[in-house]
Amino acid sequence: MSFFHNFWQLTVDGLSTGSLYAVIALGYTLVYGVLQLINFAHSEVFMFGGFAGIFAVRGVAPGGASGWTSVGLIFWGLLCGALAGGLAAFVLERTAYAPLRRRGAPKLAYLISAIGASYFAFNLAGKEFGRQNVNGPTLYDDRSVLFHVFSASIRIRTVLIFGVAIVMLVLLDRLVNATRLGKAIRAVAQDADTASLMGINVGRVIVLTFVVGGLLAGAGGFLYAQVFSASYTMGFLPGIKAFTAAVLGGIGNVRGAMLGGVVLGVIESYGGDLLGGNYVDVVAFLVLVLVLLFRPSGLLGERLGRAA
Amino acid sequence: MRQRTRKISAGIAGAMVLPLALAACGSSSAKASPSTGGSSAAASGGSVTIGFQGPLSVNSPQLGINGLDGVKLAIKQANDAKTLPYTLKLEQSDDQGTPDQGPTAANKLVDAKVLAVIGPMFSGATKASEPIYTQAGIMSVSPSATNPALTTLGFKTFFRVIAPDTIQGKAAADYVVKGLKAKKVFSLDDNSDYGTGLSHALEPQLKADGATVTHDGIDPTKNYTSEATKIIGANPDAVYYSGYYGEFGPLVKALRGAGYKGIVISGDGSNDDQFIKDAGASNAEGSYLTCACGDANSDPKAATFVKDYTTLNGAAPGTYSGEAYDATNALIQVLKGLGAKPTASAVVDAFKKVDFKGLTKQIKFTDTGEVEGNAVYIYQVKNGKRVVLGLVSDLVK
Repeated sequence: MSFFHNFWQLTVDGLSTGSLYAVIALGYTLVYGVLQLINFAHSEVFMFGGFAGIFAVRGVAPGGASGWTSVGLIFWGLLCGALAGGLAAFVLERTAYAPLRRRGAPKLAYLISAIGASYFAFNLAGKEFGRQNVNGPTLYDDRSVLFHVFSASIRIRTVLIFGVAIVMLVLLDRLVNATRLGKAIRAVAQDADTASLMGINVGRVIVLTFVVGGLLAGAGGFLYAQVFSASYTMGFLPGIKAFTAAVLGGIGNVRGAMLGGVVLGVIESYGGDLLGGNYVDVVAFLVLVLVLLFRPSGLLGERLGRAA
Repeated sequence: MRQRTRKISAGIAGAMVLPLALAACGSSSAKASPSTGGSSAAASGGSVTIGFQGPLSVNSPQLGINGLDGVKLAIKQANDAKTLPYTLKLEQSDDQGTPDQGPTAANKLVDAKVLAVIGPMFSGATKASEPIYTQAGIMSVSPSATNPALTTLGFKTFFRVIAPDTIQGKAAADYVVKGLKAKKVFSLDDNSDYGTGLSHALEPQLKADGATVTHDGIDPTKNYTSEATKIIGANPDAVYYSGYYGEFGPLVKALRGAGYKGIVISGDGSNDDQFIKDAGASNAEGSYLTCACGDANSDPKAATFVKDYTTLNGAAPGTYSGEAYDATNALIQVLKGLGAKPTASAVVDAFKKVDFKGLTKQIKFTDTGEVEGNAVYIYQVKNGKRVVLGLVSDLVK
């Protein structure tokens, strides 16, 4: 049975895809925490981060690089991707959400506004960056195996995605749980009105929450674009998957989003091998439905303020 | 608590709605070509409009652009040479290469009262669009839609100048087993009308030729990491991908990156230089491609076509440029015999009888609208470029 033969490699593949889902899922879950709405344009923040990172790296080293230069370039790409993601999220919040919030619009208006912003953003990117895949320069030998874990080969891209994702997840967890901003985010998530009475500037916290989610998604976008490729529709599928991961783990819950992302990635990897590529999404969403049937608030429960 | 759960389900409902919204929105992204002035089919003011339908955005748009540019050249040459007693104009319509957008794109051309249509280019979009052309009585000739079933669905006004995937699939299987000596073949398709049609033609012939076949299907994505692991686990001698270049590139990159050393081969949908860029030149090196299409760039007889095409469009002809050019010229040939005021129904009738020596092949149709002949070419990536190895019938003896 080739599944058992592939088991460890599939696990590693799933973990690396899943950790990327987790990074994106955090953006959904943070915004849900403070606003109780799904930011459907988040996938486009991811996409802009991907393009910005690729263009930044190409601008410095169009012909590719190797060794420590590559490590530097990857940091440079992550930085530019993250900044572009943060900027995109900031602009998104200012244009698609803040005006609605000022007027006290119903939640449905936010949802439509988000979907509209998403279409605007990816069509703009298609117009500006072209409709073809855009690839980064070669920064490392894609084929060389670093080491083995059980029967799985660990390659540079696996370490890159998994390592960067873990660092970002830990940093975010610390940010939410151990800083003043994190405390403010949690307070707004628990009860925005009371938080405001306690002297927290709710509007500012919401903007910062968007920006934090955007920084993560932008850096994740660069990773995805560098390892696979960037295209103006690149955000759609990972975005839906990350949203699913956030719900799976318990939307609004930071550690839930991390867990949900990793679980979803691994399930997809196993499902595709066991049942065929056609069943990747079937298995993923079946698990989501089952989890929600028995635990309607997701694996770790809902609230940012309570569970994180 | 209950209220929160309801919000989540609203969110999920939103996610379900998104693909629908995708289908509903963004339909009018194709702008009418600037040259489009007169919209009436009859020669009012001395012009007749013909339509082009194909993917100009979203899914592998380069193939659509290749086709469109071929059509533009044929029209320009006819207008410059005053072949017809009126000026030909072009109305282009972007179906994004998807079945969802096909009917919208087709209706746009019907509303513009085009006389005939070159396209649609992709099989899924063709299947969705042809009922509209049949109903409107407008002839459509596809340069590239190769799904075998298309000529069996009762589309009365449909023609194509390319051999269907049944022919390509069989020839590809023969080449993989007899030419490349592969014994275990992994057949992967992209779940599209085109991809499944091709893989269903390929697999029986692979088995008939004595190879062991593993089949899998996977929706288009950029992340083929897990699929590559699965393929390598099956330990095949060759992987045949039935899908488009936008995915074949990332797939080859993932396969080579995961240590796969065997043969990779794909069909006409991947036959574009962009695939080499997406996979990376070193990963793409040695890959094979099959196509019922000829390659104008390496055909000495097509040298003037290549020169004129490049002058007009600023890029060399690509996959299907020659077929689109041929289809348009066959139409122009038919229009020559129909006087100053051709009607759509007269075009359909006359097109059935056309016998025209095109660049890529003799354009002559069977009763079902299928072009006669069955030439399938093998391409290989050598030094980062696609080169023609020759016809399957010559390579496999």
